[in-house]
Amino acid sequence: MGGTFAMNYITDALWALFATCGSALLFRVPKKELFAASLGGAVGWVVYLLVQGSAHSETVAALIASIAVAVYAEVIGFLKQKPATLYSTCAIIPLVPGAGMYYTMFEAVQGSAEKAWATGFATLSIAGAIAAGLAIVASLTRIIKLDGRHFRKSRGD
Amino acid sequence: MRSHHFQHDEPSDILRVAVDAGRLMLEAGAETYRAEETMAGIAQNLGALETESFALPTGIMASTVDIQGNSISTVRRIRTRSINLEKICKLETLTKMSGRHTLDSLERELCIIETIGLYPQPVPFFGSALISGFFCLLFGGAPLDAVCSALAGALLNIVRRWLASKRQPDFILNIAGGLYAALISALLVYASIASHLDKTSIGIIMLMVPGVTIVNAIRDLISGDLVAGIARAADAFISAAGISIGVGIGLQIWSAWVGLLP
Repeated sequence: MGGTFAMNYITDALWALFATCGSALLFRVPKKELFAASLGGAVGWVVYLLVQGSAHSETVAALIASIAVAVYAEVIGFLKQKPATLYSTCAIIPLVPGAGMYYTMFEAVQGSAEKAWATGFATLSIAGAIAAGLAIVASLTRIIKLDGRHFRKSRGD
Repeated sequence: MRSHHFQHDEPSDILRVAVDAGRLMLEAGAETYRAEETMAGIAQNLGALETESFALPTGIMASTVDIQGNSISTVRRIRTRSINLEKICKLETLTKMSGRHTLDSLERELCIIETIGLYPQPVPFFGSALISGFFCLLFGGAPLDAVCSALAGALLNIVRRWLASKRQPDFILNIAGGLYAALISALLVYASIASHLDKTSIGIIMLMVPGVTIVNAIRDLISGDLVAGIARAADAFISAAGISIGVGIGLQIWSAWVGLLP
């Protein structure tokens, strides 16, 4: 039972990795960074599944997963001296509510206004959670980087 | 205290180069704050005074002042937007290093960056196949559904490129894409090659949905670029509307002329 449970996570992570790789190809990620960018998608998706399994809220799961993705992107970006957006833009692809946007407008086109509002609200809160997660990590990184610069200056390096 | 650059470079030239960098950023799909930071960084490093910029997803307005205090301004329209991360990456690095460049060398670098296009075929063809196929699996489709979705998605990429080369607006591309996704998956399920209509079609649709746009819209709103954020959100809703109109028409056609939906 536990074995199949872990297997599900592994296969899902693999599917997310390849799907992210596909979007990295469309977004022209440099060849050397393709794997790092795709791996971010898998990381984000596994965190999403883990949190959703325990918190039972898509929005909370999207928030935590996007924070994980953003931290991953900042760390890899720092190690490779590249902007973090190179990794985070691709890695949020499995999380972004593209399908939700589609279902919202689909319900609207079909004339069921109430369903459209409900899916639209859920979609926007997921998109908001992802954006908030990215923004929180970006702000924290800015604070850390500014402090680091200050520290080096005060030591006279 | 004037910077040594300012003695050589006209403020109007500095403004032109800075705004060009901002335009390249926005055309490559960067967030508004990133484009504005790029312009401010380059203008400051080249020694321009009091540079202000106002960027939207569809255009840039920027101004600076010359040594007599006369204001100089420029407006640049942005007509195409497609995410190109290598471009953004190179522009970020160039902005950081712009203090070591002269105006001429900076302009040369920008010309080189402008030529970075998206990957040529067949890379987008395989990329689309990967996205459609693996999203179909991720949403719980059967392996055969994923194969159908991947093939149909790769074909959609070619059709969309062809339509785009005929200068069709995105809205029309999305309607056509949605129509295609609904009809081809209904056909594949009818021929009992694929087994789930919804999962096969959502894999194809994932190629077109504006996921990154809606997240960037909210990032703009969070960082205080209110007008840009609303504009981007409108862009996302119009794209999603186009796709769902296409899918809606496709499903209606199928149920009216061929029979009940599988």
